[in-house]
Amino acid sequence: MLLLEHDAKELARQRGIPVPAGIFVDSQSVESMQLENDVAWVVKAQVGVGGRGKAGGVGFANSTREVVDFVRTHADASIKGQRIAGFRVERKVFFVHEVYLGFMVDAERRGVRVLLCAQGGVDVEENAQQHDAMLTAIAAPDEASLIAAASQLLAQLPSSFHGPLAPAIAALASAFVAFDATLLEVNPLFVLADGSWIAGDMKLAPDENAFPRQPELERVVRARPDVYREANFKLDHDFDYVEIDRRGQVGLLTTGAGLSMMLIDEMLQANRRPFNFCDVRTGLLRGSPTRLIEVLKQFKNGPEISVVLVNIFAGITDLGEFAQLLLQALDAVPEITVPVVARLIGNNVDAAKTLIAQSGRPITVEMDLDKALKLAIDRAGVVA
Amino acid sequence: MTAFQLDAQAKVIVQGATGRMGRRHSELMKQYGTRIVGGIAGASARREDSDVTLFDHCADAVAATDATVSITLVPPMDVLAAVTEALDAGIRCIVSPSEGMPVRDALIAYARVKEHGAIWVGPSTPGLAIPNRMKLGFIPDVSLSPGPLGVMSKSGTLSYEVCFRLARRGVGQSTWIGVGGDPVKGLRFAELLPYFQQDAATRAVLVLGEIGGSEEEELAAEMIRLSFSKPVFVLLAGASAPEGVTMGHAGALVQGGRGSIHSKMSALREAGAAVFTSIESLVDGVTRSDV
Repeated sequence: MLLLEHDAKELARQRGIPVPAGIFVDSQSVESMQLENDVAWVVKAQVGVGGRGKAGGVGFANSTREVVDFVRTHADASIKGQRIAGFRVERKVFFVHEVYLGFMVDAERRGVRVLLCAQGGVDVEENAQQHDAMLTAIAAPDEASLIAAASQLLAQLPSSFHGPLAPAIAALASAFVAFDATLLEVNPLFVLADGSWIAGDMKLAPDENAFPRQPELERVVRARPDVYREANFKLDHDFDYVEIDRRGQVGLLTTGAGLSMMLIDEMLQANRRPFNFCDVRTGLLRGSPTRLIEVLKQFKNGPEISVVLVNIFAGITDLGEFAQLLLQALDAVPEITVPVVARLIGNNVDAAKTLIAQSGRPITVEMDLDKALKLAIDRAGVVA
Repeated sequence: MTAFQLDAQAKVIVQGATGRMGRRHSELMKQYGTRIVGGIAGASARREDSDVTLFDHCADAVAATDATVSITLVPPMDVLAAVTEALDAGIRCIVSPSEGMPVRDALIAYARVKEHGAIWVGPSTPGLAIPNRMKLGFIPDVSLSPGPLGVMSKSGTLSYEVCFRLARRGVGQSTWIGVGGDPVKGLRFAELLPYFQQDAATRAVLVLGEIGGSEEEELAAEMIRLSFSKPVFVLLAGASAPEGVTMGHAGALVQGGRGSIHSKMSALREAGAAVFTSIESLVDGVTRSDV
């Protein structure tokens, strides 16, 4: 998960990291926005993917009127398939250099990769490739090691960079650790004529697993439930759910991330459109239908869902108990009337079959996953 | 990195033995034949009805039992402390099933494991097993069956399903290791290849991979480097995952084109692996081969 630039910069600003003064606006709040006159502004679409500038998501304005025009023109746009969540309007920075400085977890090397390039900006990747200019090192995930590694890289740049970048390295290395980030990238990092620095753009990817010790990051994510949808669902319900296709035909009530991904792949291979991914984790139901109800409630957002596919491979879960919870969940979400194909296998499957048969509901129990998948595919019909 | 090895007779302690999961799985592992010789109790734990001998600290348990292996059935925020305690007590192999360990904790834990020359499996792993001899973790008995396949998997459920179907068609496993679905982990696919190369019981390798990260590409490079001589069958999940969205496993994320299914598929095929994108085609491919 990538935070919006605005959220990342506000978190950074609270830590004393220099960022251009800015505000967050959307198509409504922009109408009542008050900006100073005779100031050059940058208007930046807020979206959780990179490459925004080249996709036309950044504009320059010299008056309130021009800012409003840019926001109105772009408010309904998407960048790389993601809807624009709003805009950050900030003062334009007059700089002498654009630098790239980044810290990111390197899973392969099991350390933190530090990256520094004296030619930053939107073309950093091409510059780095052409001129072999990206300096990089691997460091341990503590502040002192990150600073030491980045300082060694800095020593390879001309001395004019040392004054402004030494404090930038210290501040950003410290923030990377303090935020439990998996990525903190500042590009461009502006070096100003007076030798100071300021973060032009910022990418911050927090580690959701660390939220229990990062209350401030959790607060930022919770404040935008429409932007950080999956993260909010996980915070609220403690399991993973991702809507894949609003027009999907098959609602998935499944456990296990890998197997759920595989089912989605196999359904698409058969030309059917799955509505969602989920990993309900039956081991954590603990006698309550709540998780199942939460997933069924999501299916109300899918007008074209024509079948629900349940898949439970029960290692130790009692399927009789699970069937009871499934029936309770269906009772609790009466809007879901489509047929259900339930692939159940494992412990106490006969009790589950009996309970389901007695309920009189349109639920087909199948023990073989491939057969269950084919049943669901047949019920879903062919994609129009 | 210390080379992975696995002794079915190793003595095992359970950290977090008095929690809900700890009690249940200690019993199940014991029933399967794992030599569970002790458990570490939480400070406020109910101790009366424990089936294993309880100790306050890993060091006490190791001193009393000579255990060399530990499984950490503790909450995710406590895994780093549990791994550290086990290492300090002299444990040589640690399995961490917990899901949700912070990445920074995993980086620190790995550095400590390396410093001690120990082995760490996980986090976020269903565990590992030698069928009919021992298991460490949650792998369901119904999927376990002795046979020729060395299994390594990022996913629990997908491996349960695939191995269940293969077992019903008469193809079981030599050793089964879940490496886990997190990006930063103790053991990666490529690091298990030398073990499967020298393990006489392993006649072919089954890999259950998925989008995200670079483990599959590394594995392909390692197959070439080792001139790996046994057949390798790979199932890849997540071909249709949207970019920038984490699919349950923290590591299952395609970002900026990195971690996509295509680079994994082509790297593995170039290295000589048979790559599949549906369970049934994989099961057919394995059963039709002469393993």
